[in-house]
Amino acid sequence: MSSSAIFVLDLEGEVLICRNYKGDVDMAEIDRFLPLLMQHEEEGLLCPVLSHGKVHFMWIKHSNLYLVSTTNKNSNASLVYSFLYKIVEVFTEYFKELEEESIQDNFVVVYELLDELMDFGFPQTTDSKILQEYITQEGAKLEVGKSKVPTTVTNAVSWRSEGIKYKKNEVFIDVIESINVLVNANGSVMSSDIVGSIKLKTMLSGMPELRLGLNDRVLFGLTGRDKGKTVVMEDVKFHQCVRLSRFDSDRTISFIPPDGESELMSYRINTHVKPLIWIESVIEKFSHSRVEIMVKAKGQFKKQSVANNVEVRVPVPSDADSPKFKTSTGQAKYVPEKNMVVWTIKSFPGGKEFLMRAHFGLPSVENNELEGKPPVTVKFEIPYFTVSGIQVRYMKIIEKSGYQALPWVRYITQSGDYQLRTNV
Amino acid sequence: MPYLGSEDTVRELRRHLSNPNVQSDPLRYRSSILKVIRAMSQGVDVAGLFSEMVKACATVDIVQKKLVYVFLCSYATLNPELSLLVINTLRKDCQDPNPMVRSLALRNMVNLRLPSLAEYVEQPLSAGLRDRAACVRRVAVLGWAKLHNLQPASEIDAAVVNELYGLLRDPDPVVMVNCLRALEEILKEEGGMAINKPITHHLLNRLGQLDVWGQCEVLRVLQRYRPQSESELFDILSLLDASLVSPHPPVMAATLSLFLVLCPDLPAVSFAALERVRGPLLAACGSASRETRFTALCHIQLLLRSLPGLMGAHYKRFFCGYAEPAYIKQRKMQVLVELVNDDNVAMLLDELRGYCTDVNADTAQAAISAIGRIGRSYSDQCLQILTGLLGLQQEHITSAVVQTMRDLVWVCPQCSDTVCSALEGCEETLQDSQGRQALLWLLAVHGERVRSAPYTLEGFIDGVRGEASPGVKMELLTTTMRLFVCRPAETQDMLGRLLHHCIEEETDMCVRDQALLYYRLLRCGMEETRRVLGGRRSEPSLGVLIGRPAEPISQWASSFNTLEPLKQGAGETETTGRASPQHVTFDLDSDLSDTLNSGAGGFSFSPAGVQAPPLTLSLSPALSPEEFERLWTQRRAPPAEEGAEELDYVCLEERIRCPAVPHCSPQSLQAAMQLVNIQTLAFTAAHASPWRVYLYTHAQQAARSALILGQLLYAGEDEDEDEAGLSEGPSPRGREEEVKVTLKQRPRDEKALQGFLSILTAVLHTLPFNTH
Repeated sequence: MSSSAIFVLDLEGEVLICRNYKGDVDMAEIDRFLPLLMQHEEEGLLCPVLSHGKVHFMWIKHSNLYLVSTTNKNSNASLVYSFLYKIVEVFTEYFKELEEESIQDNFVVVYELLDELMDFGFPQTTDSKILQEYITQEGAKLEVGKSKVPTTVTNAVSWRSEGIKYKKNEVFIDVIESINVLVNANGSVMSSDIVGSIKLKTMLSGMPELRLGLNDRVLFGLTGRDKGKTVVMEDVKFHQCVRLSRFDSDRTISFIPPDGESELMSYRINTHVKPLIWIESVIEKFSHSRVEIMVKAKGQFKKQSVANNVEVRVPVPSDADSPKFKTSTGQAKYVPEKNMVVWTIKSFPGGKEFLMRAHFGLPSVENNELEGKPPVTVKFEIPYFTVSGIQVRYMKIIEKSGYQALPWVRYITQSGDYQLRTNV
Repeated sequence: MPYLGSEDTVRELRRHLSNPNVQSDPLRYRSSILKVIRAMSQGVDVAGLFSEMVKACATVDIVQKKLVYVFLCSYATLNPELSLLVINTLRKDCQDPNPMVRSLALRNMVNLRLPSLAEYVEQPLSAGLRDRAACVRRVAVLGWAKLHNLQPASEIDAAVVNELYGLLRDPDPVVMVNCLRALEEILKEEGGMAINKPITHHLLNRLGQLDVWGQCEVLRVLQRYRPQSESELFDILSLLDASLVSPHPPVMAATLSLFLVLCPDLPAVSFAALERVRGPLLAACGSASRETRFTALCHIQLLLRSLPGLMGAHYKRFFCGYAEPAYIKQRKMQVLVELVNDDNVAMLLDELRGYCTDVNADTAQAAISAIGRIGRSYSDQCLQILTGLLGLQQEHITSAVVQTMRDLVWVCPQCSDTVCSALEGCEETLQDSQGRQALLWLLAVHGERVRSAPYTLEGFIDGVRGEASPGVKMELLTTTMRLFVCRPAETQDMLGRLLHHCIEEETDMCVRDQALLYYRLLRCGMEETRRVLGGRRSEPSLGVLIGRPAEPISQWASSFNTLEPLKQGAGETETTGRASPQHVTFDLDSDLSDTLNSGAGGFSFSPAGVQAPPLTLSLSPALSPEEFERLWTQRRAPPAEEGAEELDYVCLEERIRCPAVPHCSPQSLQAAMQLVNIQTLAFTAAHASPWRVYLYTHAQQAARSALILGQLLYAGEDEDEDEAGLSEGPSPRGREEEVKVTLKQRPRDEKALQGFLSILTAVLHTLPFNTH
């Protein structure tokens, strides 16, 4: 891949921190970056690669920062983006939030991390679990003679150190699925998929060996059993600790878990999902006078389940004023800076139907600007339920010392990119 | 710290650093160093503190060391002499019992980037290669690459290179990958490291232990390997199969790239690999990172160039989300245009219509031109949408629609009636020069059918003084002239005014010259004017080519998984969009056949059967489509009259078995024909039935030249019964694969005609067969 230098810029294009890895591109070139970005944006040709002469800038934006990698080679773009996102991931794990302030407050750690993440333009140690063992924010406190080499840098099991001890041995398993739905204005589902992930919080002593059993259809087909509901997963991604060869041969997910929180696996299921919260909206716009909005929300999931913190966001014209609302439940609020009404329902039982009406005034002088047709978006969270029906059948924990450990499983379904187009 | 100018800051910092009290208190010393680094990050020039900082690196505190090294590496090139002082400390650190300290020292020793220090660095680097700790070996290996990069001229010791090769077997995966990287850099001149069978197999076996970055590196390096036997090749391929569907897009892309490079001669394997990556690629298109999504889309575009049917069933995955950035939306639309077919066209157009009113003007324009592209095959539905959009009376939408209509009319002249009626009144909304130019062009070509054309022109001519764009003025001149030819009474007065203005007052030379030219042309008389201005029109009777050719994979395989595909598309939007080249041919002197004949020249081809004198095909003199049509219809003789007693003219019908032809894209057919100097003039749409191609050439044999006109007809499965009766013999299955060739030649020359036929047959048999 080879990236010549990595820069972190603020939104004004000022360099907050940078690292010159190869020295084959003039570091002053970065001054061209923001003007170039602006120029392309104006021409509508903005693109994640910008070039000035022989220098290519590959950039991503994260909160109020630009992360830019420069190169003068025809390098592998997707790898560079993956690396930039890796940087974001690592920094976020260190600073909770990656933004201008956190970079400035922690520039020592940032320098240290940049040093370890890449050398001579090649990614080196990018696993934040490993990095955290020898680059710590406590470095700000002075410890002379500290820093023994973490075993993980050289160890066979690079993601877990030896000698971890807990009083009570527990594993928490979170199965989280988010639904992406795009519904057309006439109510037909254009696309839908489920993105799931299984997260672990491991509090286990020693070097435990774990085995996770799921109701995976391929597995059931393999063993000839076919009872109950099974799930076909696509694009399954595992944490590096999972032994892929075993998964490929007999679909067993066996691994030595990293300590603390980690994402064990993620998957995608590309299937036709019935939108869990169905929205029917009628938005009537009477030019020069008013807009009337009627939104009906219906919970299309089991009666026993309850969706929490439901937020229905309905777009309104930017020049609307004097809002009036009536809701059968929950609260509606006008958010003028985002041009939308947010209707919040704290708890939404399955099978129920709720209504919201809104009324806005429109100025008599019409806004001539063309406005897009923003869709209605919905946010929600349904605990104790997965859309795909995926289930953890068992979690076996084996450790030399033979302690008993408890696995705890929690399921949750939430909205991902959940859009319903409107007819206005 | 109070605000200080940069000089004051440096002075203040120096005072702190050299204060013995501070130096004796590790905490205060470190915080002073922190201040220096902070100032450095903020862009203050702290180079002056170099000597103070050199002293600070002799410490046991690792964090302080790291910070000082960051400083030293940034400023070492400015202070090469002082940097010599650091080397001692660094070399001492290389002996430190702590491997972290050793690796840190080793890394920064080379990062100082001072060629003068090379001699001091080599020994620790060599020792580093044999260090016990993997983290030191990692650094040492790359250190050699850096050293080489620093002094590209000097040779790296062969012993070191050997040692590096040996370290490919290092137990630590990162050391191994770094070795690859270092060897590639050091042996760049020789074309990179040697990739032989043992190394390849070793690398492949360890692929599973590597992280994403390492896997990509290995896969890239392996591209240079040439398997010694077919069975070895297939062993490698099956080993790589798992990475081909890897959920990490970079690994998947690198593997596919390797597949394509390894088996250029096995198209079936390559195509199978493309099918395999469809799933992962689509997944990457739905990735959370928009850059990954963008990259995936760009690469899908590459794949579609060879395998247009690859994503057909998944067109919905390319529908745009509301909040997606414009560059993704535009790419998605480009992909959608490729995926259109009879089943999804309604859905697709509905979706695209939604994008036409996007808040982002560029996205809206891209959507409109995408509809225009689809209009080439589904003109009615598209025109309905386009005319509907004119009703919105939005400036940028109208402009884009008019430009799209211009491009569409050229390709599909049958749309001109609808377009003409839609044009009325839209000049009011048009503001930008490109849109107005397009409108003028349309009026020039179809002016006689637009009722209000003279009024529209009058508006333009009245405002010509305030017109800034020379392009619009030139277009206006041409349009007025052409309208004058067909509607003289209404236009004469305004033409006079326009010419007067352009000749007397215009300051732009091009405009003035053109006006003068027209003026002089008019003085040559009306007949002459009409002859010159009555330029070419596209031929409704002949239909026009649609769709892109399916290219061989090798066309793009080398640019796969690099920056190129990301850059390519940006230009592509332009060509597919506004700047379609066709309307250039309407300029005064250029002739359609000229542009078609850019490759005219002599080409000699003597098929095996034909003895000397050799038959030569030539494209000149060029034949325009009109002329072709005239000659063709003039000679439309019933097939029964074959060999009729006409002295100067012969007509011949043949059937050629050629399964590829109807499935072949117009461009590849055209390219194949042009290779032997046969000019294809027009095509019906691919997969339309009956499918026709018209072509011509001049056959020259022994100083005699004859014009040959030809038609290839493929009637498809639903050929009439009586037609089948004529061809008596071949089974229905065979008939499906036959192409009927009708040739007309003047003057008559049977031998040349037979020769031509055998060439044509040979060409048709070389056509690639596209699988769908």
